[in-house]
Amino acid sequence: MESTDLNRSTNRVWNGGLVTTPGTNHDGPAILTGTLPRWGVSADGRAADDETIVAIRGLGKVYEPTPRWMRLLVRTMIYQPVVALQDVDVDVPAGGICAVVGPNGAGKTSMFRILVGLTTPSAGTALVAGFDAHRESPRVRRLVGWMPAEDRSLFLRLNCFDNLHFHGRLHGIEQRSLRPRISQALDQVGLGGHEKVSAFGLSAGMRARLQLARALLTRPRLLILDEPTASVDPVGAHELLGLITSIVREHRMAALISSHRLEEIEALRSHVVLLDRGRVRFQGDLDELRARYDRPRIEFEFSSSSAADLAGVLLTEVGRLTRPTTRVVACDPRPGVTVGTLVTRLGATLTADLVRVAEVPLPLRDVLAKIYLSTPSAAGALQ
Amino acid sequence: MRGWPRLRRLARMVWAFARLDATEDFSYPMALLFYLLGAILPAFVYFFVAELFESEGRAASSAVGDYYTFLVIGLAIAALLQSAMTGFGGRLQYAQDRGTFETLLVEPVPWTLIPLLMNVWRLLLGVLTASLLLAVGGLLGADYRLSGLATFAGVVLLGVLASSAVGIISASLLVLAKRSAPVLSLYGLAASLFAGTLFPIDLIPAWLRWISFLVPHTYVIALGRRWFMAAPPQDSVAPDLAVTSLLLFVLVALGLGVPLFSRALQYSRRTGLLSGY
Repeated sequence: MESTDLNRSTNRVWNGGLVTTPGTNHDGPAILTGTLPRWGVSADGRAADDETIVAIRGLGKVYEPTPRWMRLLVRTMIYQPVVALQDVDVDVPAGGICAVVGPNGAGKTSMFRILVGLTTPSAGTALVAGFDAHRESPRVRRLVGWMPAEDRSLFLRLNCFDNLHFHGRLHGIEQRSLRPRISQALDQVGLGGHEKVSAFGLSAGMRARLQLARALLTRPRLLILDEPTASVDPVGAHELLGLITSIVREHRMAALISSHRLEEIEALRSHVVLLDRGRVRFQGDLDELRARYDRPRIEFEFSSSSAADLAGVLLTEVGRLTRPTTRVVACDPRPGVTVGTLVTRLGATLTADLVRVAEVPLPLRDVLAKIYLSTPSAAGALQ
Repeated sequence: MRGWPRLRRLARMVWAFARLDATEDFSYPMALLFYLLGAILPAFVYFFVAELFESEGRAASSAVGDYYTFLVIGLAIAALLQSAMTGFGGRLQYAQDRGTFETLLVEPVPWTLIPLLMNVWRLLLGVLTASLLLAVGGLLGADYRLSGLATFAGVVLLGVLASSAVGIISASLLVLAKRSAPVLSLYGLAASLFAGTLFPIDLIPAWLRWISFLVPHTYVIALGRRWFMAAPPQDSVAPDLAVTSLLLFVLVALGLGVPLFSRALQYSRRTGLLSGY
């Protein structure tokens, strides 16, 4: 079963960041060229070694409309099929961190829930250390440390020690070794000395740390962290991500992390999977992403506002213009237009009035917005 | 010896769940205290009811013998079986509402064991409540015979299993419908009415009495009185029939309840209902 599923991916072509599957409906034309390296997976699609912790192949999830008889029981209804995931392929090796990014409803949590066995896939497979997350869920649950997005998953009436103790005992950790491991896990996340503090009495950020300690306690092969820093202050979030990175690399775990904070995704310097309406829109590292999508804005500062006005007229046809100040013209050039083209259009007179020319990289937020706002069929317009 | 590690694992899980629920309950000490006080209050209330009943001279002509002992045994057994029946559903509802149910489901615990594990503490509380009721009843004059204790324990175990099975069926509904307490409350009320907790089932009109035989409480209470009362009332249920019926009930209800619960979880996994409440 496993090799069949892995072999299936040999039909897939990785064109840079965009996934295309010959003969199937996909996210529009392949607009990029080149090959994106895939963690732990060889060119023929088979696992290159035993270090691939997460191997997701063709994963799909459709939430079907709720049958009418269910109305008798509860009125939480789905009237139309909801496609949460479609044809998703993701690999994460030991020691690798994969940031899963996407707007609300992109399918991040559905993917995580399939991996921990809380949701069944409609298509494809999700393997964790070679075990099928659906069919071998109990074995997979032993290998996964899960930190859900909500701190409601903690037993708030219990103290920090008891929260971890319960989890550790169910994972079969012997009593004599559990106590030092709990202390170690709490120390790791900066909650040392809080053993007897009730989870209820912790701040939101500290609860997040406690959830992380719980996920780390059993030394899992895979960490699944669903928005781990959502309720943590920026400084704490930075520390927490640094901690996660070092632990993952040190213990050669694999980690899947979702986050809405793009500065954190940048700080992680990890593999990135961009999900959009259940599909993978990009997969690779951030440098790759920027190289493909980030078309820097060019700012021209002139010695006078009249020169800037004239430049505005001359550059209208080659890009989208904005005027941050009266003497500055900012241009988002059209595809194929270079800085040289812009300067040539300004001509010798205006070039003489130039005080400064600068390339301003787009914030990651804008890069992602560009990708998400483009419809699949209009993907080529990104160029 | 091969089963020893599994047994140890099961014991560890039982202990972990019991400890979790106990810690949560003890974190509300006043609520726990009043729960226990409320549970033993009927021993006092029915003491006076029995006094009135016996002062009217009806006891001699009735089939119940010592009415206060009759009542206390019925109440204690009903309290225990009610705990077995509602314990799991109550914990499940609490976990669903609090958001911790999924935390439990991602633990490496077989899902078929969840109903047992989540019921352990409530069951222990039920045993404590029943024991307190019997003890307070004893102090107030209930007259027990303790000779049939081992047999009685076996019957109670069957009753607990049967009631737990009903609770598991109800919990299956809870997983899908998110609320099933009213269904179980209705069943509980019917059980207390038809099981002969407060009066012999012979008083129930014959055309309705068949319902009594569909409720496991009826058999456990009848056998409890038979083995626990110094002067047991005339048997309304033959012991052999009672044990056989209980066994049958356990087999059918557990055989239905455990797969039903498992299927409800699987269905919820597929439809995405699991995280709802």
